[in-house]
Amino acid sequence: MAETRAGPQVREIFNTMEYGPVPESDACALAWLDTQNRQLGHYVDGKWLKPGQRKTVPCLDPITGDSLAVCFEAQAEDVVAAVEAAQTAFTDWSSQAGAQRAQHLTRLAKAIQKHQKLLWTLESLATGRAVREVRDRDMPLAQQLLCYHAGQAYAQEKALAGWEPVGVVGLILPPTFTFLEMMRRIAPALAVGCTVVALVPPACPTPLLLAQLAGELGAFPGILNVVSGPAPLRSALASHPAVQKVAFYGAVEEGRALRRTCTGTELSLALGAESLLLLTETADLDSAVEGVVDAAWSDRSPGGVRLLIQESVWDEAVRRLQARMTRLRVGRGLDGAVDMGTRGAAAIAQAESYVHQAQKQDPPSPLSHPSSVPRYGCFVKGRFQAPGGQNFRPIQDLSGTLHGYVAEGTAKDVQDAVEAAHQAAPSWASQSPEARAALLWALAAALEHRESVLTSCLERQGKGPKAAQEEVKQSLERLREWRTPQALGRTLQATGLRGPVLQLQEPLGVLAIVCPDEWPLLAFVTLLATALTYGNSLVMVPSEDYPLPALEVCQEVSDLFPAGLVNVLTGSHDHVTRCLALHQDAQALWYFGSAQGSQFVEWASAGHLKSVWVNRGAPRAWDQETQGAGPEFRLRASRTKILWLPMGD
Amino acid sequence: MRRHAVRSGNTSQQYLSWIAKVQVNQPAVLRRAGQIQARRTVKKEWEVAWLLKAVTFIDLTTLSGDDTFSNVQRLCYKAKYPIREDLLKALDMHDKGITTAAVCVYPARVCDAVKALKAAGCNIPVASVATGFPAGQTHLQPRLEEIRLAVEDGATEIDVVINRTLVLTGQWKALYDEIRQFRKACGEAHLKTILATGELGSLTNIYKASMIAMMAGSDFIKTSTGKEAVNATFPVAIVMLRAIRDFFWKTGNKIGFKPAGGIRSAKDALVWLSLIKEELGDEWLKPELFRIGASTLLLDIEKQIFHHGTGRHATYHELPMS
Repeated sequence: MAETRAGPQVREIFNTMEYGPVPESDACALAWLDTQNRQLGHYVDGKWLKPGQRKTVPCLDPITGDSLAVCFEAQAEDVVAAVEAAQTAFTDWSSQAGAQRAQHLTRLAKAIQKHQKLLWTLESLATGRAVREVRDRDMPLAQQLLCYHAGQAYAQEKALAGWEPVGVVGLILPPTFTFLEMMRRIAPALAVGCTVVALVPPACPTPLLLAQLAGELGAFPGILNVVSGPAPLRSALASHPAVQKVAFYGAVEEGRALRRTCTGTELSLALGAESLLLLTETADLDSAVEGVVDAAWSDRSPGGVRLLIQESVWDEAVRRLQARMTRLRVGRGLDGAVDMGTRGAAAIAQAESYVHQAQKQDPPSPLSHPSSVPRYGCFVKGRFQAPGGQNFRPIQDLSGTLHGYVAEGTAKDVQDAVEAAHQAAPSWASQSPEARAALLWALAAALEHRESVLTSCLERQGKGPKAAQEEVKQSLERLREWRTPQALGRTLQATGLRGPVLQLQEPLGVLAIVCPDEWPLLAFVTLLATALTYGNSLVMVPSEDYPLPALEVCQEVSDLFPAGLVNVLTGSHDHVTRCLALHQDAQALWYFGSAQGSQFVEWASAGHLKSVWVNRGAPRAWDQETQGAGPEFRLRASRTKILWLPMGD
Repeated sequence: MRRHAVRSGNTSQQYLSWIAKVQVNQPAVLRRAGQIQARRTVKKEWEVAWLLKAVTFIDLTTLSGDDTFSNVQRLCYKAKYPIREDLLKALDMHDKGITTAAVCVYPARVCDAVKALKAAGCNIPVASVATGFPAGQTHLQPRLEEIRLAVEDGATEIDVVINRTLVLTGQWKALYDEIRQFRKACGEAHLKTILATGELGSLTNIYKASMIAMMAGSDFIKTSTGKEAVNATFPVAIVMLRAIRDFFWKTGNKIGFKPAGGIRSAKDALVWLSLIKEELGDEWLKPELFRIGASTLLLDIEKQIFHHGTGRHATYHELPMS
């Protein structure tokens, strides 16, 4: 029997002790492609859409180069058809009770389970990713993800009372994405009642199969639509008026371009996908190296890894890393014992170009900062200073009576304020939440003594005595409501990871806030309290028309808070906002003003992709609990950090 | 030939500094242990070749209170002919001289084993457990005497157990000194040091004990006696293999590894082989540097080879017992 077989004999393997091939059958994937006559179009409104007269792109096995199918590239009208289908489906889908949506998502999870072999085979065949990764990780996690979000949908009426689904969500995927990455974005959108149009690069069959599985569930056919088309179509999707939100996941440059083209649409970006790993001398180096290998060479994420190694263990760590890398197995994706699918010549050339580029690079030159001479009239570094341009603007009430002059903030003032905020940031962020809350409490107590001043200040702006009193009282409450530490969103969860998982809300860094014109005291204090509670340091621009109450508050701030933690700039909102949006070292910008200003903020922030929160000209009821306080502020004022605490020995 | 580990130059103080800062990340090691079982597999011809290779790593063992001359003799015969001749012929492997790596018995049965192997006309080494196996809770003097007597009786490999008390109380220098004395008592015989990892408390202790055992001149480090509640496991093996590699990088000496206890299936044996290949590399895949302590494993391997050759599953009576 042995002599009839090709390939090495037992005798030979006994000596070499090599690994052999462990091929997985691709028959089910090919059979599915046959059901489409090896021609893939788009999946829209529960039906296959195969318009004629479209450019075709071959879908190739990335390892053998065999042709698997041909794909029709979409044109703008196909995208429009998909968005319209999603829009139609939205009415029905969003009006369903959370429990109904939960049931539907659970059925989709079941459908994935039922067809998981087809899904993993097709994904591995078409992308070349190691089948083990897709089978053992993507598939079970995708089902878990759907079940989790089904649970969220079920509890939604209670947990997210008052929130509305935005509408049609456009999902834009880059040439390299994993099945799981896609599910991470689709599942939550569907759960809350949105419908999805996914634009995938041509020759990606798995999303189409997923859409088909979702469509074949019968009910709600148009909630998930998949269109495959080239990158230029992205702006067609993003700028379609019916698309309320766009989720993009991919390279930084592409994200930047998208941010610029679709101002006015809410955009969530996950860019670069480059994670940072720190390896310190206290680590178990071998285990750490395993972690690096898993992160960098496991066909999981298309992004890179930046590894920083403490100098004292550099040699040891690099030696281990090199030794470990020699054991990586690369081969056909549909082989059960490889770590990575084979990469083509293009990928190798690209990697080499990166290495070449890094070797040629000079050490980075120090950034030049304009020298700052602190002599301005804005509230910077804990005291009032003359503004850079030495200009002041008069503040008048409705009847034209002059109440004072405030500084006309300039680009230089913005720079000073941001710099001062950076200096104050580290020590403030390292304070315990309780200590921060205690200071806000003290501020409330100090302002109580100024109550009459503040009230008359508001009255002069034209408020009735009762309304003025009410605004002051409410402002003091806003400062005090953060006293309860459970409001800070720290949670401890038990998971299957051997060790609890701690969820922390981390400060954003230097946060610039442009306050609305209305509610000159209440809005200012609410925003100040929220942002400070979460450890941010601030550059604030109070009401343009009537900044005096905010400046009154500054008098107390200078006594209580560290210098530079809160900086307040007055003057033309448009001008100061422009400077803040273009300032690359402010980590976040909140803007409450006109719709036009909101658009500008989004466009200008694309430079370094700071996180922005804008109101698009919509007024906010600051005196109402739902709009003037609540979880939205918490989510915006902090970033969530997850800490896994491994333990045991 | 016995390797002279690090007998010259370094002082014991220097050795102790090697283990001072060690910290093993247990959750990470458990994760790796889980992955290694899922990431590599061999099929068809490769599976058969690997299983035959595994046979050559086995220390075929009997360590029972009811051992007698006749079952030791049977064990030795099985060590000489581990796989049925007709099965090997079908694979064209009958002329490879496949035997197990050694037989392993209690000290009182060494004479029986030497005699039986001589009668079978082969030079498979006889390994003897010693030093108060399995608990090691006897006085040092009789423990050393046990080694000397086993060597006199003809054992060329001695599997000693370490004093767990010294590990659990952190007396690393004392542990080093004890193993040094075992080393001396062995003379030219190979020293295999059993760490009894199931009783050492933590993975960090296992790493440190592995290092001490190698510094003191062991030729092999071995996971367990097979008599503890927890025996050879993959997380423990990963820690020991990394210690072996670190020791090789520091000194240039290759020390062998022997998992023992609880390895019963052919499938397990394949994972152990791929674990060695992944963590240490192909040069460790030879009987001089890798052994598997087992008794029933051999029968399961033979059954798998029977199945590969005939397409049928054998019952136990179709294969000669050990």
